[in-house]
Amino acid sequence: MEFRPIFLSIKHNKAIAMLVIIQVAITLTVLSGSLLMTTSTLKEWNLPSGIPHDNIISAEPQFYDLDVDVRQSVVDDLARIKALPGVINASPATQRPFAAQGAQQVYLEATEEAQEYDTNIFTGDINLHKVLELTLIEGRFFRENEIITGKRDELSSTPPIVMISENMAKVLFPDGNALGKTIWMEKGGSPAEIIGIYSNFMNGEQLNYFGQSYRTVLQPLVTWQNRQDPSYLIRVEKGMAEGLLETIRNELYKIDGRYVNRVEVLSRIQKRMYDGRGSQSIMLLVISFVLLLITAFGMAGLVSFLVTQRQKQIGTRRALGATKWDVVRYFMLENGILSGIGIMIGLILSLVFTFVLTEDSGVNILDMSYIFATAFFIILINQLAVYFPAKKAANIEPAIVTRAA
Amino acid sequence: MFAYNAKLAFKSLNDRPSLTVLMVAAIAVGLGLFMTMLTLGHQSGKIPIPHISKQIHLIQLDNREVTADDAENFTDMVDLTYQDANNLLNMDIAGAEQALTWNTYGILNVEEQDIQPQRSSVVATNHAFFNMFEVPFLYGKGWDSDADQLGQAVIVLTKDSNDYLFGGINSVGQQVRLNTQVLTVIGVLDDWFLARKFYDRSYSQARPDQALIPSNFAFNNDLPRNARFDCWSTTTNPRKFTTNYLTELKTSECAWITFWAKLPNNTKDDYQAQLGQYIESQKNLGRFPRENQYFLTNINDQLSIIGSMGGRQQMLGMISYMFFAVCLINAVSILLAKFMRRTKEVSLRRALGAKKRTILQQHLIEVIFIGVIGGLFGIAFTYLGLQAMLRVSLYASDYTQTAADLMPYHRMDWEMVMMAFSVSVGCTLLVGLYPIWRICNVSPASQLKAQ
Repeated sequence: MEFRPIFLSIKHNKAIAMLVIIQVAITLTVLSGSLLMTTSTLKEWNLPSGIPHDNIISAEPQFYDLDVDVRQSVVDDLARIKALPGVINASPATQRPFAAQGAQQVYLEATEEAQEYDTNIFTGDINLHKVLELTLIEGRFFRENEIITGKRDELSSTPPIVMISENMAKVLFPDGNALGKTIWMEKGGSPAEIIGIYSNFMNGEQLNYFGQSYRTVLQPLVTWQNRQDPSYLIRVEKGMAEGLLETIRNELYKIDGRYVNRVEVLSRIQKRMYDGRGSQSIMLLVISFVLLLITAFGMAGLVSFLVTQRQKQIGTRRALGATKWDVVRYFMLENGILSGIGIMIGLILSLVFTFVLTEDSGVNILDMSYIFATAFFIILINQLAVYFPAKKAANIEPAIVTRAA
Repeated sequence: MFAYNAKLAFKSLNDRPSLTVLMVAAIAVGLGLFMTMLTLGHQSGKIPIPHISKQIHLIQLDNREVTADDAENFTDMVDLTYQDANNLLNMDIAGAEQALTWNTYGILNVEEQDIQPQRSSVVATNHAFFNMFEVPFLYGKGWDSDADQLGQAVIVLTKDSNDYLFGGINSVGQQVRLNTQVLTVIGVLDDWFLARKFYDRSYSQARPDQALIPSNFAFNNDLPRNARFDCWSTTTNPRKFTTNYLTELKTSECAWITFWAKLPNNTKDDYQAQLGQYIESQKNLGRFPRENQYFLTNINDQLSIIGSMGGRQQMLGMISYMFFAVCLINAVSILLAKFMRRTKEVSLRRALGAKKRTILQQHLIEVIFIGVIGGLFGIAFTYLGLQAMLRVSLYASDYTQTAADLMPYHRMDWEMVMMAFSVSVGCTLLVGLYPIWRICNVSPASQLKAQ
């Protein structure tokens, strides 16, 4: 192989060699950085929701007149909403799928040191599972007389029973048989027995980001607090959702002293949940693509310059019996060596870059396979960018040397 | 000679147009992304009310327990308790104006049946707020100190909420209801753009409040207190103070009220001395168990401590710098390739008596020209980039924010245009440094010998 002449020529053209190396190194850093960020943000992106989100409406009314009897108005609201044509069922709720607020904790022991398990606690009446169309996997659903209703700080007790999702059961009890076990909703609180396990559904952005999208707990509870009234989740006939939004809003305004915040289809909340991350990732991908184009064209420009500079050298080699392929291989090997050094430096830079990002965001996004794949891809693009100008150069007539002189 | 050199320079630009285009494109695209991120940072990092921002100080007193951690700057320090805020307001300090702010929320509604109620974020403050922060009024004016004392039912609406509730007319004297309480409109604000909403310490962008009311009115009617309560460890569950337990809160050691003082010129030392005395006097009452410690932080310092960019922008910013670097390195290669092709011609010119300076001039003209063209296209790309970022932000907010809300952060100003030009020309010169040095050092006739 022609390593010696390559090293000699690299030594001769130190500046250009340096440029290639730096360029490859930075390109690798930027590309692998944005690729890692994209994959980490898109990892839990657009997962199945587990519920018919196109046919569920959520409404968030709120009383500003604190003298209104919330208990009665919940009954009235539900009766009025269920009577609307197109509405199949409805339940009060404190959390909404795709938009569950924050993370709550459940524990397997009552002690102070008990391990925390992040989850989202959804509450509702006996219709909640019908609204969300959850399938029963084990045990049973709640019964009418088990629903506890009341103002939050006036409740005498929390429900002694809960249901958990299939995924939550797997997390809490990896060995199975979660049914009948006891969990605690707060440290030192009262225990609750698991009476049923249902099919998974999406909780919200926060847990989704940590790959815990399907951790949910259901409580048979309808509660409110001053200025925090129950929301409603409303299951409607297929295709009716958009048309019913205004009707439901007006229906809720029939009770005075309240404000109706958002009446929207769950699919819109789903869209909102993923949009920020989706658009950010697409932006990064576009930037990466442009960067790749620029690097490739730059490399091609550089090689065609090198080639024109060495026309005579190529002619000589050809005259001395080198095949066209020998010439092409020479250039590709030269570029390969330089890219290789660049990749080495780029690897170190990428690791530093990812480390900084991980420090900042607290989420570990490092995945060496992506960095190696990017490195391989950059070498491939570079080799292609070298191949065409080099092939053109190899077409030089061997006689050019003699002629020019 | 200059004209001749310029002619040569342009001829050379035309020589291999594809290389020229490639180089201009590399600079323009890199500059476009770079300037987009720089402009976003520049606009969101602007200091609100810059002409008085250095006089306006956030006041924090350390009333915490002995066991609390030491605070390095204002972000680690607690705000004021109700009693301290009240005591400071009652102190007579020459030349200083003081305002307290805290956030509450409620439903704004009017008698008019066809205007649906509006959920609103409301600032609870005192009369000094309007004067201190030079708040612009469209109609009417702020309330006076009597209204503060008595907790009168008066309200100042922002322009947007006046537009929504009253169709933009002069609504001074009209009545509006906050939840079930009836208040009289006493003033309507004009557009008041703050690059960062500093007064509630959110430093956020484009999340406006809808109205302002006297703090005492909010207390008298027990409106919810949307704040973080930093309490002593003896207080259990501080979050309960959000909607309840007002009497306990008023005498507690829970810090939660944001407090501002405008200290023009040389009143700061006096004010600090007074604060010191105040803390001493409170120590006698058994409060303030820690060493005297208080923070006066003006708006400029607050913003520089917090940093001008959010996480996501910072990340994109980092990428945009490296992206620009790759583009510039690319430009060096292309320029080198372009210039070195001309070795023969240059060595002939040198042999015929052209000075190094002449060669330098010719190539400088060429590089500067490329820089200017790259700058022009770069500005165009920046404009497109900002538009794209605006669209992305709107889409990501699910259109809950309007283009008008976000426009101030996605706008190029002359400062940025000039910046783009200087970055472009400066960087191309930097890029051209090595290729020009190489070409200027071609020795006369060296290339001719070989022929």
